[in-house]
Amino acid sequence: MIRTVARKEMLEIIRDGRFRWSAAITLLLLCGALAMGWQHYRDVASQHEAARRDTRQQWLKQGEKNPHSAAHYGVYAFKPRMPLSLVDPGVDPYVGVAAWLEAHKQNEFKFKPAQDATALQRLGELTGATVLQLLLPLVIILLTFSAFASERELGTLRQLMSLGVSRSDLAWGKALGISGALAMLLLPATVIGVAGLALTAENGALAGSTPRLLLLFAGYLAYFAVFLGISLAVSAKASSARVALITLLGFWIFNGLLAPKAVTDLARSIHPTPSTLQFARDIEHDIENGMDGHNPADSRAEALKQELLRKYNVDSVNKLPIDFNGVRMQAGEEYGNQVFDRHYGALWATYDRQRRIHDLASILAPSLAIRSLSMGLAGTDFPQHAHFSQAAEQYRRLINREMNMDLAHHAKGKPVYMAKESLWQKIPDFHYEAPGLGWVVRNHTLSLVLLTVWCLAAALAASWMSRRMEVI
Amino acid sequence: MLFLIAKNDWRNIRADRTLWAIALLLTTTILYGVHNGASWVDFQKRTIQGALADEAERHAAIKQGIEDANAGRTSPPSWKDPRSPYAVGYRLGSRFATMPPAPLAALAVGQSDLLPYYFRVTVNSRDTMLGNDELENPVHLLSGRFDLAFVIIYLFPLVILAVSYNLISGDKEDGTLALTLSTPVSLPSLAMGKIAFRAAFVLTLGAVLSVAGALLSGIDLSAPGAAPRLLLWMGAVAAYSIFWFGLAVLINAMGRNSATNALALSGLWLVFVLLIPSLLNVGIKTAHPVPSRVEMIQAMRHASDAVTAERSRLMAEFLEDHPELAPAASADTNAQFAVRSVAMTEELERRIQPVLDEFDKRISRQQQLADQYRFLSPAILTQAALYDLAGTGVHRYKHFLNLAANYHQQWQAHIQPKMMQTVKLSTASIDELPRWHWQEEDTADVLGRAGTHTAALALTAAFVIAIGVLALRRFPVVG
Repeated sequence: MIRTVARKEMLEIIRDGRFRWSAAITLLLLCGALAMGWQHYRDVASQHEAARRDTRQQWLKQGEKNPHSAAHYGVYAFKPRMPLSLVDPGVDPYVGVAAWLEAHKQNEFKFKPAQDATALQRLGELTGATVLQLLLPLVIILLTFSAFASERELGTLRQLMSLGVSRSDLAWGKALGISGALAMLLLPATVIGVAGLALTAENGALAGSTPRLLLLFAGYLAYFAVFLGISLAVSAKASSARVALITLLGFWIFNGLLAPKAVTDLARSIHPTPSTLQFARDIEHDIENGMDGHNPADSRAEALKQELLRKYNVDSVNKLPIDFNGVRMQAGEEYGNQVFDRHYGALWATYDRQRRIHDLASILAPSLAIRSLSMGLAGTDFPQHAHFSQAAEQYRRLINREMNMDLAHHAKGKPVYMAKESLWQKIPDFHYEAPGLGWVVRNHTLSLVLLTVWCLAAALAASWMSRRMEVI
Repeated sequence: MLFLIAKNDWRNIRADRTLWAIALLLTTTILYGVHNGASWVDFQKRTIQGALADEAERHAAIKQGIEDANAGRTSPPSWKDPRSPYAVGYRLGSRFATMPPAPLAALAVGQSDLLPYYFRVTVNSRDTMLGNDELENPVHLLSGRFDLAFVIIYLFPLVILAVSYNLISGDKEDGTLALTLSTPVSLPSLAMGKIAFRAAFVLTLGAVLSVAGALLSGIDLSAPGAAPRLLLWMGAVAAYSIFWFGLAVLINAMGRNSATNALALSGLWLVFVLLIPSLLNVGIKTAHPVPSRVEMIQAMRHASDAVTAERSRLMAEFLEDHPELAPAASADTNAQFAVRSVAMTEELERRIQPVLDEFDKRISRQQQLADQYRFLSPAILTQAALYDLAGTGVHRYKHFLNLAANYHQQWQAHIQPKMMQTVKLSTASIDELPRWHWQEEDTADVLGRAGTHTAALALTAAFVIAIGVLALRRFPVVG
C-alpha cells in the first residue's frame, strides 16, 4: 500500500510544473554554487601552497644575520583550505588568511576576504551550504504543505479513508513519494559535488575527506527529514492548505533568517567579546608588569641573572659561559607565551561559550545545528581555525627558542654574531596536520544530538498528527 | 470613499487575530533590533574613549619619564627613552585615529562590525595600519547582526505580504467582492483603499516604533545632520514598503486564488531579497576578482627584503636628496640608524603603493558594478540607502581611511626630521605631536547618495503600483 501511495505522490509531484521549476532552479543554484566553490578552493589552495613554499625559501635564503634579527624577520603562516570548503566555506571569508610569526608577539590572522567584498556579501552568499540549508527546505515545504490539507479540501482524503488505507501507510507513502522526488534533485548535485572533490584530489583529498563527506551527507539528510516531517505534520493538522503554507513559511523564516541573527546578538550580550584595544592592552600590561601585577619585566630579568650567577658560581654576567642576552630573551619569550596562552585562551573560551549558545538555540531552530555541524565537517568552523592558529603559534615558539638558544650558545664574547643558513635549516618546514573526524565530532556533539532529536521529534509529530488528523 | 473602504477593512481585520500577531512581531523585532544596534554603538563609543584614555595615560607617562630622565633619576635604554623621537614616534607616543559612530549608527550595524573604526598611528610604513581589525567571533560576522536595517529589509516585506496577499482574492473567495463591486465603487479604488489602510497601519507602527526605540536608545536628534538623515530614512522605508504593497496588488490582479498568491509573493520575496543579491555578489566577484591578499603579503615581503638588501645605496641616495639631514661624521649611531630607517620606510612605501593601489582599484571596480546593478533589487537599494544614512557603509569607511592616511603622513612628517636630527624631546614637544581630528562626512553628500537610492525606490514602487492598477481593470470579478 505504501508503495502505491508513494508512486502516486511522486508522479503527481513530478508532473507539477511548480516542482519542475523550483527543482530546476534549486539544482542550477546548487550546481553553480558547488562549481564556484570548487574553483575558489582550487585557486586559493594553490595560492596558499605557493606562498607557503615562498615564505620557506625566504626564511632559508635570508642570508647572514643575527639570530634575533632572523626571529624578527620570521615567517608567515597561511591558512590552508580544506577540500570540503567547496561545499561550505563556513567562517573562512570572516577570518584572516595569514599571520606573521615574529619574535615576542602572537599576531592575529590578518586580511579577511569579506572585507574585500561589497556590502552585498552581507545580504547573502551563494554557497553549497546556503542552498542546502535555506533553499532546499523551502522546496520541501512547497512539495509537502498540501500533502494532506489539499486532499482534505478536495474531499479525496475521505475517499481514501473509506477504502481502508491506514493513516500511517498514507503518511509513510507520502513521505516516501516526496523523498523520491527530492532524490531526483539531490542525486545529480551529489554526483557533481563528489566529482568536483575527486578532481581536486591530487593529494588524496577525496580519500581523506570521505568519512567527513559521508557524515555531512547524513547530516543534511537528517535536516531535510526534519523539514519533511514537520511539513507533513502541519499539513495534517492545518485547517486548509493556505494555513499550512503560511505556518510553514513562518517556520522557515524563523529557522533560516531570524534565529541565526537573533542568537548572534544574544550570545554577544551574554558573553561579550573584548575590543582589540583592550585585548592588546591587557597583554602588554601583563608582559610589562607580570601576570599577578607584582612581577615586572625588569625584576624578572634581574632574578634570572642572579639565578644564573648562582648556578655557574660566578660574580658577573661577563664570566658566564653562555651569552646572557640569549637566555634573557628566551625567558622573556617564555613569559610572553604564558601571557598569550592566558589571553588567547580566554578569548577563545569566550568564542566557545558563544558557540555553545548558538548550538543550544538549535532547540528552537534546526538550521543552527546543521550549520554548526556542516562547518565543522567541512573544516571551516572556528575551532578548526583556532586549531591552525595554535599550530602556527607553536611553530613561532619553536623558531624563537632555536634562535635564542643559538645566541646563548654561540654569541658569547662576540661583538657581532652572525648565523648562517645552517641555522635556518635547523627549523623544520611548517607542516600542519588538520584534526581528525573524532576531534570534530566531539566539538559538535551537542548539535549532532539536537539534530537527531529534531529528526525523531519531526517523525513522531508527522505520525502523531496524521493518525489524529481530521478527514473532513 | 477610500476612507469608507479603509474603515470597513479595519473592522474586518480587527476581528482577525493575524493583525495583532503581526503588530506583536513588529514590536518585538524592531525594539530588539534597535536595542542591539544601540549596544553596539555604545561598545564602539566606550572603546574609542578607552583609546583616548590609553593615549592620555601614555603621554602623561612620557612627560613624567622625560622629567625623570632629565633630572637623572632614571636612565632608560634608547629604545624606550621617552626623549627619543624614535621611541615616541614608533611606540610610546602613538596616537589613535578613530571614527566615532554617526548619529543614526544604532539603526544599522551594516559593515561596521567587519571594518575597523580605529587605527594606531605610528611612524611605521602605512601598510602596517592595515588588517588591525576589531576582535569578533567570525560566526557572528557570518550571521550578521539583528538590527533595525535587517528587520526593514527582510521582515517588513514579509509582514506586508502577510497582510495583503489575499487583498482581493480573499474577498473573491468569500463571495463579498461581487457584492461590494455592485455598489458604485471601482475595483482599483477598492484595492487602493484596502492598501491605504494596511500601508498606514504597517508604516505608522514601523515609524513610531523605530523613532521611539531610537530615542530610548539614546539617539541624539539634535546632532548635526541627524534630523534630515532620519527623515530620509523614513522616506526610504516608506518607498520600499510601497513597492511590496504594489507587488501584492499586481499579483492579486492576476486573479488567482489566495494560496497561489501567497506562493507567488513568497517566491518574489525570495528572488528580490535573497537570490538577486547573492547572484549579483557572485557575478561581481567573477567579473572583477580581487587579487589574493596572500599574494599581496608576499609582494610586500619581497619589497621589504629588497629594501633591506639595498639599504646602504638607499641611504646614500636619500642623503643626496636631503643633504641638510646628513648626520655629522661624528654623530652617534642613533642618527645614522634613524636616517636609514626613514629612507627605508620611504622606499618601502613607494614600492608597496602600486600593490595597494591595485587592490583599491579592483575593489572600487566591484563597488561600481554593484552600484550599477543595485537597481535590480529594491532590497539592495534599501540596504545601500540605510547603511549610508546610518554611516555604517563603505562610503564613510573610505572617508575615514583617507583621513587616517593623511594623519599618518602628518605624523611621519612631524617625527621623522626629529628622529634624523636626534632631537631630544621635551615635555612641551610632546604636546606638539599632531592631534587627530575627525571630520564628519559632508551631510549633503550622504543625503545626495541616499536620496538617489530612495528616488529610485520610489520610482520602482510607483511603476509597480501603476502596472497593478492597470492590471486590475482586467480582473475577472466572477468566475
